[in-house]
Amino acid sequence: MATTEELTDDVHEAPDDDAEEREPTDEEGESKSGGKAKKDLPATAQPKVFERRSGAALRNVLTITKREFKAYFDSIVAYVVVCLTLLIVGVWFFFFGFWQVERASVSRLFDGVGSLPILLSFLVLPLLTMRALAEEKRSGTIELLITMPVKDSEVILGKFFAALGLTAVLLLCTLVYPIAMFAWPWHMGALDWGPVTTSYVGLLLMGSAGIAVGMMFSSFTENQIVAFFVTAAVLALLWFIGSIVEFVHGPIGDAISFVSFQTRFLPFSRGLVDTRAVIYFLSITIICLLAAFRSLESRKWS
Amino acid sequence: MSTDVMIYANDLSKNFGSFRAVDKINFEVRRGEVVGFLGPNGAGKSTTMRILTCFISPTGGTAKINGFDVFDDPLAVRESLGYLPQRAPLYLEMSVLEYLKFAADLRGLDDSTFKKRARSVVEVCGLAQVLGKEIRHLSHGYRQRVGLGQALIHDPPILILDEPTSDLDPNEKAEFLDYIKQIGQERTVLLSTHNLSEVEIACARAIIVSKGRVVADGPLDEIRAKSGRVRYVVSIQESAGTHPYRGKGLPPKKAEVETLLNALDGVRKVTELPTDERAHTYELATDEGVDLRPELFQMIVQKGWVLLELHRDAQTLEDVFRHLTIGDARRNRTLDAGAEDEDEESDEAEEETEADETDDDDSDAKDKD
Repeated sequence: MATTEELTDDVHEAPDDDAEEREPTDEEGESKSGGKAKKDLPATAQPKVFERRSGAALRNVLTITKREFKAYFDSIVAYVVVCLTLLIVGVWFFFFGFWQVERASVSRLFDGVGSLPILLSFLVLPLLTMRALAEEKRSGTIELLITMPVKDSEVILGKFFAALGLTAVLLLCTLVYPIAMFAWPWHMGALDWGPVTTSYVGLLLMGSAGIAVGMMFSSFTENQIVAFFVTAAVLALLWFIGSIVEFVHGPIGDAISFVSFQTRFLPFSRGLVDTRAVIYFLSITIICLLAAFRSLESRKWS
Repeated sequence: MSTDVMIYANDLSKNFGSFRAVDKINFEVRRGEVVGFLGPNGAGKSTTMRILTCFISPTGGTAKINGFDVFDDPLAVRESLGYLPQRAPLYLEMSVLEYLKFAADLRGLDDSTFKKRARSVVEVCGLAQVLGKEIRHLSHGYRQRVGLGQALIHDPPILILDEPTSDLDPNEKAEFLDYIKQIGQERTVLLSTHNLSEVEIACARAIIVSKGRVVADGPLDEIRAKSGRVRYVVSIQESAGTHPYRGKGLPPKKAEVETLLNALDGVRKVTELPTDERAHTYELATDEGVDLRPELFQMIVQKGWVLLELHRDAQTLEDVFRHLTIGDARRNRTLDAGAEDEDEESDEAEEETEADETDDDDSDAKDKD
């Protein structure tokens, strides 16, 4: 499930990726011809034409994704994230949800303090993205990466997919709980897998938006701690403002429910795939990735 | 531009805010040239290299690498070159082999080419012992070798190396320079360094930059000759200590020696060099084309002094370097020169000074380099 979702994500992103790559060249061209009087170049025999090997873009994104994904496991980040999440969700699920309500249900996985969406916002996504660009800029490794024949957009996308991949792995791990309770080894009854599936789809979509937000903040700073806290604060805010919707009426209330991740996620947890929410999460993803791309590119002009 | 101009910079400029790090730099490097890119700290060497590798964009001017413009074809430019940034920033959590593989993948090498290239890179850079080690556990010298390795992995026609030898030990340096010389036969290498003796070993040509401008560009011999000065060192006995004095009368006083030396024709400057109380030692600067040694000898014989040492040499590259970049050192020592940023490029403000009288007085700032 997670993998198909990832693929659809990829498809959604593809056309945008192209747009991303084309724009800057226009801009570069402009600033070059418009900016200053060019000196006469010595006559070149023929301008050389450069053609990129076919499939280079995709291959570069994959190479970077692979490296980043492995880096999560080479450092302890991946283990910490997975273990902490499983632990907190497990405690929340069994001691504060599962046995409290009279009927056996997995709704606790998606709702409340120790639930997956909140953990993702507060902990997982900020942790996964804080290093993405901030650390590369601080240590200078970005210079070696960027001076390889890769586009800035490929760097951003590669890192994005690595974080998304790890999020998918993490979500797969949490499937242990519903499976253990309702399929094997215990059979607590028939579980309605529909809402569970849509919830996971929603989580992954929200995850992709959150990762993009995190990468954006990571690209703004050289300090990964700053990136972590700002991302966590923004994602938490986007989640929790959904809780005050019932008290605020009128256009402000509408605006809040429009931007809140919580209200956007709600239909998924009830078994609905809300296209508006899908588009909302994907838009956030694209906008924030574009911002990160621009910020990475701005090093050229500062 | 003939086709074998591999690196071409025309009026390249870069401003960081109001600070001009690179100011209309012009140069060309051809195939088969190994060029030393020299200059004091903050002269704009790294900035120029970053422009050439498309890491940053110039504020003005054009640059072409292998015939590709850095604005229009950044990817083509990057494919044509291998680049080692200052201090070799690598991913510390990767092993050496993984890193080389990663670089090769991004360069689009297939597996069999990678194996072939990796073998030669490992041999050249001496990485056989550390291939499986994580980069974080390597010393700086080894990290620099890995950085070199990734720059060489795709066998690029152009190499741009920013202080490639800074962390190497003397043996490694010698080996590395040998190798550069060897591959420089059919490739193009631009390497920046502070270490002038390295340039003398590996490069036939040097470009010296100061305050963002090219102040000298040409074969090393030409650059050495550029300042057109010759220096003499004369040492005259001042006291014989416990031994009997062999000269005529009493040993000369300092003032006497100085006056006479200054009176000689063609002497532009007399500087006393530090010695013990046994000798007066002076350095004389003269114009080129005059040989003062006979006059000096005659004068000393006439006075009946005891000559301990007399030699003449053309200026070394180091002297020329000091002479050409002396303004930088001065500026670093005057507080009113402007804001001093933490950024390495920005430690010089726009301020043009005098650099006409040659004294080596404040050149000790350079020695640190």
